[in-house]
Amino acid sequence: MPASTIALDFLDFCEKQTSADAIGDRFISTLQAMGYEYIACASHVDPLRPRPGGVSVLNYPKAWVQHYSEEEFARLDPVFHAACAMPGPFTWEDALANMRLGRDQKRVLAEGAAYGLSRGMTIPLRSPDVIPASCSLVAGPDGVDPLALAHTLMVVIYGHGALHRRLNPDVVIEPVILPRRERQCLALAGCGKSDWIIGQLLGISGRTAHNSIERAKHRYAVSHRIQAVVRAVFNGQIMIDDLSG
Amino acid sequence: MIYIVSQENRRRFHHLLTEMHRQRKRVFIDQLKWRLEESAGLEIDAFDSEDAVYLIEARTPISDVSISARLLPTTRPHLLSEHFVDLCEEPLPTGANVWEATRFCPAPDTPAGALRRTMLGRMIAGIMETALLFGIEQVTYVADAALAPMAERAGWDVRRLGPPRGKGRDRIQAFAARIDGAGLKRVREAFAINAPLIRFVPAEMPRAA
Repeated sequence: MPASTIALDFLDFCEKQTSADAIGDRFISTLQAMGYEYIACASHVDPLRPRPGGVSVLNYPKAWVQHYSEEEFARLDPVFHAACAMPGPFTWEDALANMRLGRDQKRVLAEGAAYGLSRGMTIPLRSPDVIPASCSLVAGPDGVDPLALAHTLMVVIYGHGALHRRLNPDVVIEPVILPRRERQCLALAGCGKSDWIIGQLLGISGRTAHNSIERAKHRYAVSHRIQAVVRAVFNGQIMIDDLSG
Repeated sequence: MIYIVSQENRRRFHHLLTEMHRQRKRVFIDQLKWRLEESAGLEIDAFDSEDAVYLIEARTPISDVSISARLLPTTRPHLLSEHFVDLCEEPLPTGANVWEATRFCPAPDTPAGALRRTMLGRMIAGIMETALLFGIEQVTYVADAALAPMAERAGWDVRRLGPPRGKGRDRIQAFAARIDGAGLKRVREAFAINAPLIRFVPAEMPRAA
């Protein structure tokens, strides 16, 4: 069956199916039909301890997943690190050739290869929550038609979104837009400045600076100002460069 | 040997096709700095499709690729008709018996000089053998300053479709080559080729009765 038909059938299935487990199973079987043997679509966390509501669909060898979890490889995994830095899909071979890997990271790759996880490709995914995510694919013995790449991306990106929606049916994410003063105060708080210094730098009182940060915390429904800084960076309200001063 | 990879048998050649697209990315984007799109380390353009015929030289369907080329039917949009029609002073040859050859791609680590010329000669012989097999009478192509003189001297009957455009290494020109047995004989003699180079492997291997 052509890759285009396989991919469109999957999209149709996702539209009609409400069970995340059923979509997850179909996600794996769809990609297998396209020629992939091993598939892992997940947030960059321990696969045996996924976040509540986080997508974690994989068919990697169970013994490898167990070993990966016990050794806490998610922290070191160079493919995860590359997925955070690469702007688009990449082969492990290409991305890792440009990275300086530590001994522990080389060990992750070597031990994964012993389980058949080598010469893979990873598609970085934009996750609605703050944890980076990606989908890694390893082709089966007959390889995958390179013309199927576009349909692979369609299945992975659409499937990840559909899974996330089914796993978080009641979550409505309202975009948070911080007023200018709150952005300024939060950025300076992220640089480690106290309320008093923020006030001095912005020509306002320390109490006004404090209240601005409290309002930003309230908008993000978090209890600590550092949490608000992190959320503001992730949703683009303050830039990472704003924190380097 | 040079494998013919077409819609009919491409599922046997996923490894060679992937390697070919990977080499095209390394040669055309990384080395020659052509402004092409890439994804996951593969260069794939709008003309790559199941309708294209690929010629890929390799020892086996899972070994390294030494050179590859793409043949496109000219009965539908192709590179010359869509992007380089201004290179032609005469009407662009198109039709059911005309193919366009594009993406001549030696392996990225192929040294310049005699080895590269010999590989190009083998690929031209492979194109002619395949074209004769499919009843093709002309093959058009666009060549840059490096490829054009080598291809013109290969022994096949080549005519220029128009004057060159650009300067130095970026100079490009359109050509049409006639496909016939005499031309193939000359190419084979020029490159000391004494046996057919192309192989067509069916999608399914025949089974014993």
